[in-house]
Amino acid sequence: MNELLHHAQQFWLGLQHKPLFGLLLSLCVYQLALMLYQYFNRRVILHPVTTGSIVIALILNGLDISYRDYLNGNQLLYFLLGPATVALAIPLHQQFHNIRKLMLPVLITVAVGAVFAPAIAVGVAAIMGGSDEVLLALYPKSVTTPIALGIADIIGALPGLTTGVVVFTGVIGSLLSPVVFYLLKLHDPRLQGIVLGLNAHGVGTARGFEINPTVGAFASLAMGLTGAFTALIMPYAVQMIN
Amino acid sequence: MLKAFIVLLLFQLLGETLVGLARIPIPGPVIGMLLLWIALHIKNGASAELSQLSQNLISHLSLLFLPAGVGLFFLPPSIQKYWPAVLGAMVVGTFLSMLFSGALAKGLSGRKGGEG
Repeated sequence: MNELLHHAQQFWLGLQHKPLFGLLLSLCVYQLALMLYQYFNRRVILHPVTTGSIVIALILNGLDISYRDYLNGNQLLYFLLGPATVALAIPLHQQFHNIRKLMLPVLITVAVGAVFAPAIAVGVAAIMGGSDEVLLALYPKSVTTPIALGIADIIGALPGLTTGVVVFTGVIGSLLSPVVFYLLKLHDPRLQGIVLGLNAHGVGTARGFEINPTVGAFASLAMGLTGAFTALIMPYAVQMIN
Repeated sequence: MLKAFIVLLLFQLLGETLVGLARIPIPGPVIGMLLLWIALHIKNGASAELSQLSQNLISHLSLLFLPAGVGLFFLPPSIQKYWPAVLGAMVVGTFLSMLFSGALAKGLSGRKGGEG
């Protein structure tokens, strides 16, 4: 009996370090979080990334599994961000007739907004006493994770903090979007998409596709442009500031 | 589905290659997206298979961010004490930035024909 228990313990310890466990945990928790989200009519407060990450953090803590082991198990999901980004070309193409008409306002808004977004975030954190390490991680907060990681690497920000901040900026941006649209009386789906993609990157874009395909396509466009623009100027800007 | 997946990965590879050769700091997938967009334009649309796969991938975009999101709960102690600043930047900063960009987009699109 004792031997059996010991064997089970060994097996469990081995399993924790295999990709299977971390990936399965993400998929199961996400599926449940998604069901909860859909059951409550996609209320953004119950965004599956929020509920899902809290549940996973609790499970990892409870089972005493390191975040690093869990993250290693989820390399596949991280890898899929690449093809998923490329896939955004399809809605962009389908909405091209819409996008062409608004190309100039989109470009100007992205160029100005992509500078304003990190500036205000870093400013707020500086006023609230954030350390230099914290401030650095906030610069790429509004661009999609793979781009943010690239920038974090160049400017020397902590990758873990950067991706966490990026993801939750996306969730918070999606969460605040109904309030922002209401305050600005922003009813045009194209402009809603720009705001979501510019400020809340991939998470906001996913939210945009839930509203309608036009919001989603404009969010994809704004996300791609913000990412590209930020990747080009951010490393130089941070160098100049510090 | 396999063919469509190959198309997406090929365009990502094309993007990564271009980025590597030209040494631009933009991530490969973003360039891949722009290249595929151009290709779709020339080809006049995506196949049903490609549209289906991309729709599937995009509808689960949030799932792909989940592991990184969990990371915010496992920050080193040196960072943990600054969580009010991090949270403030994320909530207040994002809110102000959204108001600003929304107002800007609205103003710019209104001037251009008033169909906002």
